[in-house]
Amino acid sequence: MSVELRNVSCVYAPGTPYETRAVTELSLTIRDGEFAGVMGKTGCGKSTMIQLIAGLMRPSGGQILLDGQDINGKNFDRDGLRRRVGVVFQFPEIQLFETTVKRDVAFGLRHFGWTEEEKESSVREALERMGFSYEAVKDKSPLGFSGGEKRRLAVAGVLAARPELLILDEPLAGLDPLGREALLTLLGELNRDGTTILMVSHDADTLAEYADRIILLKDGRLFRDGPAAEVFADYDALKDNGIGVCRVREAAEALRRRGWEIPAGTVRYGQLLDEIAGRWRQ
Amino acid sequence: MNRLPAGLYQPGDSVVHRLDAAAKLLCLLLLLAAVVNTAAPAGYGVWVLLLALLIRLARIPPRTALASAAGLGWFFLLILLMNLCFYAPEQAWVSVWIFRPSSAGLLQGLRVAARVFLLLVMSNVLMVSTPPLALTGAFERLLSPLRFIGVPTELAAMILSVAIQFIPTLLEETDGIRKAQTARGARFDSPNLWEKGKAVLPLLAPVFVAAFQRADELSLAMEARGYRADIRRGRKKYPPFRACDWLALSLCAAAAVIFIIIR
Ligand SMILES: Nc1ncnc2c1ncn2[C@@H]1O[C@H](COP(=O)(O)OP(=O)(O)O)[C@@H](O)[C@H]1O
Ligand SMILES: [Mg+2]
Repeated sequence: MSVELRNVSCVYAPGTPYETRAVTELSLTIRDGEFAGVMGKTGCGKSTMIQLIAGLMRPSGGQILLDGQDINGKNFDRDGLRRRVGVVFQFPEIQLFETTVKRDVAFGLRHFGWTEEEKESSVREALERMGFSYEAVKDKSPLGFSGGEKRRLAVAGVLAARPELLILDEPLAGLDPLGREALLTLLGELNRDGTTILMVSHDADTLAEYADRIILLKDGRLFRDGPAAEVFADYDALKDNGIGVCRVREAAEALRRRGWEIPAGTVRYGQLLDEIAGRWRQ
Repeated sequence: MNRLPAGLYQPGDSVVHRLDAAAKLLCLLLLLAAVVNTAAPAGYGVWVLLLALLIRLARIPPRTALASAAGLGWFFLLILLMNLCFYAPEQAWVSVWIFRPSSAGLLQGLRVAARVFLLLVMSNVLMVSTPPLALTGAFERLLSPLRFIGVPTELAAMILSVAIQFIPTLLEETDGIRKAQTARGARFDSPNLWEKGKAVLPLLAPVFVAAFQRADELSLAMEARGYRADIRRGRKKYPPFRACDWLALSLCAAAAVIFIIIR
């Protein structure tokens, strides 16, 4: 699913002393099938932007188009939007509430007019994708799981609807290394299968590894936008704006300065290892 | 939630903002006593003017000041209808089943609705113009004489101030959960009452879980930092009322006396 922001602005509590311009005249396009990473200092408007895209808030100005259709237009199918766009919020484990895992994961499917079999197979697939055995967990209470497991259950609840656009707000925060790895691998798979992904993260190396494209926000405006190799090249700008730097790229640059022939724009860990190993053999 | 919740403190430097919180709280009590004792419809006309003056003095946008009463239209209508139909059955125009509407009932309904409205808006002006901590300090100050008869006023004030500081966090959390469930297909904004009702559980269950978790964490953090409910802290010194505080108190007291006498 393609996303287009046209001059989008969003103001909280307008006309009061608490007025905050969270997003200002933001324009960008995410192509169908892309994996886009969003970065920026805390408070720069990342969460606001994704809530606008998911149609959970109205912008104060500008337009948001999904597959070319204005989501705040009069005839837009909002129920369809809920089905086609999945959102994993920050700390999504808090949204679990049903009596059983099966019911909770199926919560989002109630309004789709799916048959029981369709629902069940979708719930099963989502849970298995998140590393659970369907039969083992389906009748347990979701509140009895550990923190990391709850996060995976919550993500399963979003995946069950088979969204075309998957938005994730800092999904890695607080996950252990195994959980991170599993979630990232899954996102990679979904993306290969055609799901458009928009992920907020503070981890430049992870985004460099997985995202086709990095969107940097600063004070609610677009600051940088492009492939990781390009965006992360500007070390000083990232440092000065409190945005995490890409360590792999910094390491590659340090080696280049010492005369190693490592291609400019090396940002992936595996890529760097291959280059080093290649040089070693020579 | 592009709008702010009613009653949220909004910094400012108007006369009303600068008054001592305890004085303001006393003023509110005096004004409420006067409002409740107002009987004549003309009296309510005067109150509306006074209220407008107060809002003007506090330099609060009228929309913000009235926010506490907004959205309660159904509630006011209910008050009106209940009084209309049941207040003075002996003077009823007609009698349909248990309903006995009368003009005395209509008048009483308007009166009660006006009182509730004034009460809500006046309290809101106090909340909007006073920092929450100053407000709990004021409660503690006004309640402190009760210490002598063994009431744990410090503890009460601590509980109150913790509760008040929790409100914005809880509102934020509720808003986040509402958005998360909406994204998953809950229909909070559906015009269909049944759909709306069904959406309550996905919202309330997580909010309660979160609230209890927070309370737990906070009590641990407080204990870790050495808070003990049974240790007496030194008496707090409160700044004395200034001339403007006394002036505000006198004006409100005068209003209370006048309205109570002439009703
Ligand atoms: N519900 C809200 N009410 C008022 N201001 C808000 C609200 N949510 C966010 N903001 C403000 O909007 C700005 C952007 O916030 P946010 O989009 O959450 O940033 P990020 O996700 O990048 O940390 C911040 O200054 C924040 O304080
Ligand atoms: Mg955020």
